[in-house]
Amino acid sequence: MAYLTVTDGLKQFIGFRALDGVSLSVEEGEFFTLLGPSGCGKTTLLRAIAGFNDLTSGSITLAGKDLRSVPPHQRDIGMVFQDYAVFPHLTVFDNVAFGLKPRKVPAAEIRTRVAEALESVHLEALSERLPAAMSGGQQQRIGLARAMVINPRLLLMDEPLSNLDAKLRIELREEIRDIQKRVNIATIYVTHDQEEALAISDRICVMSAGRIEQIGTPQEIYGNPQTLFVANFVGTLNTLAAGPGLDQVLAGLGLASASAAHWTIRPESLRLLGPGESAGAGAATLEGRVAKYTYLGREAHVLVDTAAGQVVVQLGASELKTIRNPGDEVRILFDRESLMAFDSASKRIGLGS
Amino acid sequence: MARRFDFWTLVTIGTWAILLLLLVIPVGSVLLSSFFDRSGNATAANYLAFATEPRFQRAFVNTLIVGFGGLVGAMLLGSIMAFCISRFHIRGGRFISLLAILALVSPPFIGAYSWIVLFGAGGVVRGWAREIGINMPPIYGVGGILIVFALKFYPFVYLMVSGALSNVNRSLEEAAEGLGLTPLQRTFKISFPLVLPALSAGGLLALIQSIADFGTPRLLGRGFNVLATEAYALYSAEVGSNMSMATTISMVLIFISMAFVMLQRFMSRRNVYHGNMINKPIKIRLKGWRNWLAHGAVYLIGLCGAMPVIISVIYSLRKTNGPVFQDGFALQSYERIMFNLGDVVRNSLTFSAVAVALIVLAGTVIGVLVARRTNLNTSLLDGAFMIPYVMPGIVIGIAYIAAFNTGPIVLTGTAAIIILSIFIRRLPYTVRTTSSALRQISPSMEEAAISLGYSPFQAFLRVTVPLIVPGIIAGAMLSFVTAINELSSSLVLYVGSTITMPVRIYLLILDGDFGTAAAMSTILLVLSGIAVYIAFRLMGRNEQALL
Repeated sequence: MAYLTVTDGLKQFIGFRALDGVSLSVEEGEFFTLLGPSGCGKTTLLRAIAGFNDLTSGSITLAGKDLRSVPPHQRDIGMVFQDYAVFPHLTVFDNVAFGLKPRKVPAAEIRTRVAEALESVHLEALSERLPAAMSGGQQQRIGLARAMVINPRLLLMDEPLSNLDAKLRIELREEIRDIQKRVNIATIYVTHDQEEALAISDRICVMSAGRIEQIGTPQEIYGNPQTLFVANFVGTLNTLAAGPGLDQVLAGLGLASASAAHWTIRPESLRLLGPGESAGAGAATLEGRVAKYTYLGREAHVLVDTAAGQVVVQLGASELKTIRNPGDEVRILFDRESLMAFDSASKRIGLGS
Repeated sequence: MARRFDFWTLVTIGTWAILLLLLVIPVGSVLLSSFFDRSGNATAANYLAFATEPRFQRAFVNTLIVGFGGLVGAMLLGSIMAFCISRFHIRGGRFISLLAILALVSPPFIGAYSWIVLFGAGGVVRGWAREIGINMPPIYGVGGILIVFALKFYPFVYLMVSGALSNVNRSLEEAAEGLGLTPLQRTFKISFPLVLPALSAGGLLALIQSIADFGTPRLLGRGFNVLATEAYALYSAEVGSNMSMATTISMVLIFISMAFVMLQRFMSRRNVYHGNMINKPIKIRLKGWRNWLAHGAVYLIGLCGAMPVIISVIYSLRKTNGPVFQDGFALQSYERIMFNLGDVVRNSLTFSAVAVALIVLAGTVIGVLVARRTNLNTSLLDGAFMIPYVMPGIVIGIAYIAAFNTGPIVLTGTAAIIILSIFIRRLPYTVRTTSSALRQISPSMEEAAISLGYSPFQAFLRVTVPLIVPGIIAGAMLSFVTAINELSSSLVLYVGSTITMPVRIYLLILDGDFGTAAAMSTILLVLSGIAVYIAFRLMGRNEQALL
């Protein structure tokens, strides 16, 4: 049996259902991310596991034991908060030592464990300072050390990086990942940032409107999305408009007989054909006119007006030498493997081979 | 969970019990009493008399005159000072703020008395003026009252507006400049609307205080009667005390005050601007005559406002022979207090201390209730708490006499009635400061402690309480200042054994014993000063908390 399980989790608030039958399981030592837009229920689920808001119905078990009957302060679950929740009246050391006191850890051991925790988040030099004047990154490091030093059975993180600036966010997420692997604590991480989720997780659970859309590894979530929501939310997606343009592409790919409600493809799977270059076997082309060219340094995005609506093509490093101007005639290359089809219920359809 | 629920249910019941006993019953008694004549028959004759008798009509009009006069004066002086201090480099800005605080914490009637000393019938300054051939009119009457109110209440406007002015985002004014507005247009079109809510809030405080003030018109009025003095006169008349008419006037006073609070709220309902702390306005260094003018205005207002304090300290040290001042200095006045009036000082200290202790205890618990139990009908509670906040002291005194003179609970003549009257007036302040302090502490702070292994109650005790305690103590110190300076309700409620310092000072002034009055005022000021100092040490120098 899995380390942490949630079965048929349901949370009813007045007027709306925040969690609508959620079931998932997390393995020991796993970095598990709840990803979704705000209001999708990810934080509600996290707080139910922490014990701050109980579920309306459903069960939660940790290491085989029921968790819902345990009051939150006895669950032994470390938590890292979006607003850091660092105690402003205590020094950095006392903040980190705070959770060791009710655990009756001897003073000498407190000193060594706090020192180790502070060292792992690179704050050993600041241990006697008050946190008030510290930066957001430093405060969140305190929060992280404080949650980990108690050796919790489970570590919960509620959008811990969303109040930090972009560069620090990347730096700190790498550190969180390294520390988590080192101490090997099962971790549930909540975020709305899909790039962060892909970078940090062993497995990702994408949620929408209180339901689970898909659970899988970052590769599965990005490369093989099972619903249109997941495909749209993680990464960018071109949805081809029905009409002669789409028919042309499908015919070229030998998919004219396939029936699907939505045909989509990721921008990086598309290419622009050079003049005189021809599509190989099993590929299709679509003519269009450049509407906008956005240069981003290591890549560029070309927005093309086609008979299948506007399509974004992402150009890689090797294709950046040619500058595309609005109005340029271009041909877009589609290949069959990259095309993703969804039925009218927005579920993924296999295309066979 | 069940036990917590029981505790908070108890607090809710207790809160409403306190409000019922100390607010609803007294105000209800006043209302009831105003509808009965002296022989106990139900009648509306009191209100009819109020509407028709010239004496009351005049008092009503006079009340509005001093109210709006105080408002205009305080707004004028307060805005000038706030504008100069927050926009120009003024040497000794902190000293100016100190002068404003001194004006704020000195009992209002001391102001009246000090101006009598300077500009009264035998006033010092008038005496000098006469020597050089200028005949000044004495300060008595409506003009004097308005001068005293303007100088006494300008700190309300000054503290409110300077806080708002220094939070106006500089970019807004720069944007206006970029759009081609002149400095004067910028001031009136950008800065003024932004500080209007603060200005009207400060003005309202000045207005309500002016209407409620009893000591100043009493000492300076000389026939210029306002509703507060009429109510007291009717209540305290040796012969023919007319309680039902006094309560009628009290009702009118409550309605006037409430009406102005509603009006101010209505006016500033849409104008909530959130300042940003990043782009604060810079202070301009003025040159030449403008610099002199700004400094002159600020120091003149500050020193005149603090004049009562300065006069009290000087006169308390003058040599006296009985009530008559002699040349030279001595500590006789203080000796007289030490030997004869020690119990008065002791009364004031004990009453204020007990009242503040009760205020802190009840205010904190109720504040937690208001902040953390949002399912409770807190707006109703908020509304109920507005009433004691705007009720003139005289009215509270009369209401308590009306409620606790007879019937199941008799408290007249006890220390308890004075303590409770202070308690109910200051309780709203503590509830409000506690609940707003609690709302600023993120709930995740307690949740963090819970996830680390502390029970919810332990988490509250170990995390939340340490964070709000400095604010609570600071608030207690400021409540102490209000409590120890309270005159008007105590004046109605005191008996020989429960006389307090402000009441004694008032009586000493009426008796003409200015030396002792000045010495006692000085003691009062020192006690208030210590309390303010402690408060500022605990929460940083935050003059606005005094309001």
